[in-house]
Order: sequence, then C-alpha cells, then structure tokens
Amino acid sequence: MGQFGKIFKFELKNYLTNKIFVGVTVFFSLIIALVMFFPRVAEIFESNDPDIPESSQEGIYIDEDQSSEDVYVESGNDGSIMLLRYNGENSDMIKEAFSNSFWGYNVEITEDDISVIEEKIRSGEAECAFVLDDLNYFTYYVGNLSMYDMNSEMASELLRTLYQQNSLMNSGLSEEEALDVLNAYVSYETVTLGKDQMVNYFYTYIMILALYMVILLYGQMVSTNVATEKSSRAMELLITSAKPSSMMFGKVFASCLAGFTQLVCIFGSAFVSFNINRTYWDEFGMVSSFFDIPIELIIYMLVFFVLGFLVYAFIFGAVGSTVSKLEDINTAVMPITLLFIFGFMVVVFSFASGTVDNILMKVCSYIPFTAPIAMFARIAMSTVPWYEITICISVLTLSVVFIGIISAKIYRVGVLLYGTPPKIGAILKAIKKA
Amino acid sequence: MKLELINIEKSFGENKVLKGISFSADGGKAFGLLGRNGAGKTTTIRILMDVFSADAGEILVDGQPIDRKKIHFGYLPEERGLYPKKKIIDQLIYFAELRGMNRKDAVKNIDYWLGRLGMTEYREKRLDTLSKGNQQKIQLVTALAHDPQIVILDEPFSGLDPVNAMLLKDVVKEEISKGKIVLFSSHQMNYIEEFCDSIAILNGGENVLTGELHDIKRNYPRNKLVVDLEDKDKLISEMSSCSALQEDGSVLLTLSSPDEKRIMMKRLIENYDIDGIKVYEPTLNDIFVEYADDQR
Repeated sequence: MGQFGKIFKFELKNYLTNKIFVGVTVFFSLIIALVMFFPRVAEIFESNDPDIPESSQEGIYIDEDQSSEDVYVESGNDGSIMLLRYNGENSDMIKEAFSNSFWGYNVEITEDDISVIEEKIRSGEAECAFVLDDLNYFTYYVGNLSMYDMNSEMASELLRTLYQQNSLMNSGLSEEEALDVLNAYVSYETVTLGKDQMVNYFYTYIMILALYMVILLYGQMVSTNVATEKSSRAMELLITSAKPSSMMFGKVFASCLAGFTQLVCIFGSAFVSFNINRTYWDEFGMVSSFFDIPIELIIYMLVFFVLGFLVYAFIFGAVGSTVSKLEDINTAVMPITLLFIFGFMVVVFSFASGTVDNILMKVCSYIPFTAPIAMFARIAMSTVPWYEITICISVLTLSVVFIGIISAKIYRVGVLLYGTPPKIGAILKAIKKA
Repeated sequence: MKLELINIEKSFGENKVLKGISFSADGGKAFGLLGRNGAGKTTTIRILMDVFSADAGEILVDGQPIDRKKIHFGYLPEERGLYPKKKIIDQLIYFAELRGMNRKDAVKNIDYWLGRLGMTEYREKRLDTLSKGNQQKIQLVTALAHDPQIVILDEPFSGLDPVNAMLLKDVVKEEISKGKIVLFSSHQMNYIEEFCDSIAILNGGENVLTGELHDIKRNYPRNKLVVDLEDKDKLISEMSSCSALQEDGSVLLTLSSPDEKRIMMKRLIENYDIDGIKVYEPTLNDIFVEYADDQR
C-alpha cells in the first residue's frame, strides 16, 4: 500500500469514526425511513378513528356533476357556514348546486344586506358569502383569503355550467341532452418520444439538490481539514513524510467516498423503506415516481457526483492550504462557493421554467464548474445526444486531472506559507517553480 | 555514512534565501546547524528532506546523490504539532507507515519508544490531554520510531523540564552511538557544545563558519588571559587599556599578540596575589555572537 493508500485509509477512518458524521447519517436515514413509513402508520390511526364516518370520506368521490378535486375541499371546514344571496329565479336549484359543489360547507340562502353579511363574516358566524347579481356576476366575501382558496373559481365554473345548461334548455334541449353536450368528454393519449418532464421533474430536482449539498458540504470539509492540519502544525511533519500529491489525492478521494457512503445510506434507507410501504404510496404519484428512476440515470448521477465532487474538492483543498488560521477559511472559500451557487441557480431557474435545453444550459454543460449539475439536469429532463454527453464527461475528466495536479502544487506551496494569505500572483509564480 | 551538502542555493521569488550552503556530517556524530532567526536553517532542512527542491547544488550520501528510497529522515520540527484530537497510538502508527514502515514493525518500535520515554500509559489517550512536555515527547517518537538513518532535531530541548532534558540527552547519545547522523539546530549553545563535534553557522543564507568545534576553538586567537584574584580593582586600574571585569568576577586581559602571554603571566604572578590564570577559550556562544552578529 503506497502513501496514497495509507492517507486515504486514515482520512476515511477519520470520517467514519467521526461522531457527527455518523450521527448525521443515521439521523437522516432514520428520518427518511420514518417519512416513508408515514402513510402506513397514518392509515392505522385513521382506520381506528371512529369520528370520521365512512360516508363523508366517500362523498369526495361520488359527486357527479362537478369537476372539483379533493384538494379544493380542504379549504372548507366541516359545517362552516357559506351564505348565498340570490334574488333571481331557480334559487333552490342554485342552492342545491352550491351545496353539492362545496360539500364541506353548510350553504344557507340569505336575504340580508351586504353590511349584515360582512358583519356575520367578521364575527365568524359565517365563513364566506356569495352575493349573486345574476348568473353572470357575483361577489365573493371572505375573512382572510387563503392562498389555496379556490372557492371563487369553483363558483365561477359552477355558474358558467348552470348558465350554459339554462341556455341550452331554453333553446329546446331536454335537461339530459343539455348535460350530455356540456359534459362531452374528449379522450386522448400522449406518446412521449423523449422524456416526460412531468414525471422526471420531482426526482431530478431532488437529485440535483443532493448533488449540490453533498459537493458543497464535503468540499468545505476538505478545505477545513487541510486548514486544521496547517494551523495545528501537523503539516510540518506531514509535508516531510508524504508527497503533497499523495496527501491531496488521499484526502479528496477519502472525502468523496465518505460523501458517497452518506448518500447511499440516506437514499438506500429511503429506497428500502419505500419498497416495504410501496402499496401505501400508490396514491402519491410524485413520490412513487421518485423511486422509478431509470437505472441509467442513477449511473449518470454517480458519474457526475464523482466528477463534480472531485473538481470542487481539489479546489477547496488548495484554498484550504493557503490560509493560516481556521477563521480565514470562510472568506477564502467564498469565491468558489459563489461560483458553485451561480451554476446551481442557472440550472434551477432553467429547470423551473421548463427550458433545460436553452443556450445557457448548453454552455454550462461544458464548463467544468457547472457541467455536473447542468448536464445531469439535461440528461434527466430532455434527450441529449450521446456525443454531447461524451464530450461533457471527457471535459470533466480532463479537468479533474488538471485541477488535481494544479491543486497539489498549490497545496505544496500553500501549506508552508504562514501569515497573511498569499496573493494569487505569488501563488501562480510559486506553482511554476514547484 | 557521510552526508554532504554542496553549494545549495534557493530563492523564493526575488528573495535569495540560500546562497551556496555547504557542509558535511558524519555518521556516529552530531552536527550543529546554527544561525539566527531567518538565516536559512529551516529552508536548508526542508531542502534536505525534499520538501523543496534546491535551485542549485547537490546532496550526497557517501559520495552518491541521495537515494530517498533508502535514506530515511527523522524530523522533530521546531513548530511542534500533531493531531490534537486523535488517539496517540493511531497517529504514531500513521506517521510511521507514511515513512514506509509496515504496521507490525511500527507498533513494535512505537511501543519501545513509548516505554523508553516513559509514555506507555498515554498510548491510548488523545494527544490534547497531555501536557506540553509530554506532547513533545510524543513528537520525538514520530521522529525516531521508523529508525531513520538521519535524525534532524530542531530546538529539541525547548519546553522540556530538566529531568526530561536529561532523558532526551541520553536518547540522543544512544542514537549517535548507533552510528546515525544527528543534525541539531538550536539556539541553546550549551547543548550544541555538549553534543556536536562539528558545526556550521549560517548567516544571511551563507556559511560563515564551518568545521570541527574543537578546531574552531583552537584556531581562535589565543591572546586573552582569564585572571582570578582578590584585588581586581588594582589590576584593572593599572592595566586599564587591556583589562575588563567579566560577569563571573574574573578579569579578562587582552594582549596585543599571543606571544606576550608568557611574559604577562610571569609579571602577574610576581606583582599580584593570583588565584589562577588560564588562556581564554571562547565559548560557542562567543563564536556565534561574533559570526552571526550582523545579518547580511
């Protein structure tokens, strides 16, 4: 076993016996396992809960002539009073329609003045009110308008249907014929030749976030590690015992494997506990989709994790070697952190706007500092030609080698400089000579 | 074994730190590398240990360019420091392994040295639970455990109490008697004088004095007399031009030439009540102050 192997083993052991490292890994693995078990546990509690009558649960699904989904229903508390003022004809029919649509509410017809209605809402006697001038115009009164309050949209939709139904019936159709016309359903099918971004979005997002966090956290750990050795002067002995390149590579690869282990533990825990509870997650399509990641995407994630990690960890290590005091480390690594955050932002914004193949993303997927995240997002969300992927991975691999060598040189020069952090020019000069 | 440094030069940027350092050290002897702060000692040591490469010059062992795979160095740096939060045995093994030992031999040697230095009870402890002196002894183990042929000790005695200093002296003598080259760098001249047969004094990146300590002292002009007597004032007043009272109470007479010393001795014995007279031999301290005085 050469020096590299010994340093690698020593550093890896440092991580794996570090209480905080082990604690964090176990903690997150447990948390994620708990989350995965949640629906199963929740169902046990729900089925034992006698307060909720069967019928009210089914009520969500048996409403026929409304397109509302169960999400909307959550805005109304059981039995909250919704006031409805309408002076036109068919007010009973409208009340019935409202009662059916807003099933969580207790819909009451009122003939009060606006001011009385407002007062009732303020005092909490009623939760909200619809004042209908006719079928084409209404005013919605509510106390605090929740972010998720869809009542006015639902009412608008409901009234539109009623209006259309009335008009059709007035022009001679029977009620049934009118409903048939209104509820005419066009069925369709989508053939996706590339990637389905709806399905990929969720897990791509999580994977990018994981890449981002692990690279940044472990990169900073590498630089702190180097700076600690330097400030405790263990460096004096290390530098005379081992080659700087062995030290740099040993440290970086050890932290890479440690980060990788942590990822595997946390994601592995999620995967195993999800599969135990798979049936309970069926209704949550987003979560299930996360665990249906194609295997090649996982391989890409590993490749980009390793390459991206190495690019940054080497730089972080080199920067760590230029500071003499541990306090200076945060300022010193800031430019790199910012660079990385910039890359992450570009990807996330492009990603959120659904244009993962825009020109900025294409450029970013060939720059070593942004490529790991950018290219990964593109592979996950769209169809990238094989040669682009090959070029990207080659660029990254070459960069890793190049950056590794340069960092080892900076390291060799940096670790013996104490006092004020050296200027970049001075470091470059020293590297040339080293 | 003979270690030779020949005309070593090194610059950092515009700053020429070493301007042709040469000296040679023999196995079974201790060598003193002296110089004021910034004279170039640490840089010389680092070049010797291949942390930097020299801009010019050669390092030879027994006349051949040094083979770093065969020649191992033990180093006690002036700036002490190991991993404070790590178990002592773990880091000692790590450093021994880094220097090419296998684990089994490393453990055996480390246990020997911990026992030799009276540190066995701390084997499983964390370094930062130890006192400064004991930490220094642990650091000494890192310098010796891998059985190096060349041992470099930079200020080895600083921070040690007299008992530990004595222990270290014995250890150093043992190492020397095993035929190793021991390179001392220190500002405590008494220790250098006690151990070292040869010295090199560096000043401003140059050798200003190199050679056997004994010869250096013999070659020093023997034109000074140290006189012990009761009536110092009389002697000083009568020979005010060439006499000086020393700190230890004796009087130092400086003669214009060594040839005069017999006549002067005779005259002194005839005219004063003398307790003792001897030819003054400079201490290493005097030599050092003289040669390293002005930074060049």
